[in-house]
Amino acid sequence: MADFSWTTQSPLKKALVPGRHGAAGATAGVTLTEMRDIVLMQVMARRGKAAETAKAAKKLFGVEPPVSPKAVSGKGATLVWSGPDQFTVFAPRSDEAAQLEAMTKAFAGSASLSDQCDGRCLIRVSGPRARDAIAKFSSLDLHDSVFPVGSSANTSVDHTAVNFWRDANGADGTPVYSMLVFTSFADSLWHVILDSSLEYGVEASSARAA
Amino acid sequence: MRIACPFCGERENGEFTYLGDASPKRPNFAIDGGEVVEDAFYDYVYLRDNVAGVMREYWYHGGGCRSWLVAERNTVTHEFISVKAAPGAGAAKPAQAGE
Repeated sequence: MADFSWTTQSPLKKALVPGRHGAAGATAGVTLTEMRDIVLMQVMARRGKAAETAKAAKKLFGVEPPVSPKAVSGKGATLVWSGPDQFTVFAPRSDEAAQLEAMTKAFAGSASLSDQCDGRCLIRVSGPRARDAIAKFSSLDLHDSVFPVGSSANTSVDHTAVNFWRDANGADGTPVYSMLVFTSFADSLWHVILDSSLEYGVEASSARAA
Repeated sequence: MRIACPFCGERENGEFTYLGDASPKRPNFAIDGGEVVEDAFYDYVYLRDNVAGVMREYWYHGGGCRSWLVAERNTVTHEFISVKAAPGAGAAKPAQAGE
């Protein structure tokens, strides 16, 4: 019998061409980064077990999971709201098996887990013109007063589901947005984002999540 | 048209799917029985009021939090009077439509 060896590869292997694209200028208006090596787990509280699930999350990550569209940073992970009684755990990958095992143990009996590590692709959009670029393909209101740091949203981009949240501002004080997209749609959405950003000048790259 | 999801906030209507009248109640076999049930099921499955005014409707926020919602909407003006979580949509239940 043949042995199969599955190797994970980025869904943006073809689409992502590192370097400068679009308008030239001293600084790029938009920075696109594919965050690689991530651990993702969808956590759904079982009926009537929302409080128990929250307690388990608090014990494991040191923070309560968000109960409204927010992204909360905890110990080694970010908990992103993804629906009533549901959230997605995002963590940089260190020891995947151990990370998944810890969650499986912590939420045993209180929540159902669904491993999304290779099901989604994380694209980070940042820079001084990031908001202008996103405005072209998203109907979300991203003004600071409506969508401050720590906000999240489940929304549709080009009829495709996207988990969207705002990270802490970059070193230059400009906003940073994370977009979690389905692996199979990543290629298509990457082009949407890139095309929307070209007029501002784009710096594209991939990086290990940290 | 924008719809205020009780979980996500105001979103464009493209994220939502319309199901229809939220008023019909499924007849109960155990209680009703006989021909009455057949008539009741006929009503439940096929007959709908064509409301010009405010009606209760099921909407599904598939492009967002994937929750079923019950909305009161004016079919003449398209004004949404209220949008609440449908019964059973999550234990969080910010505001649930009475059933």
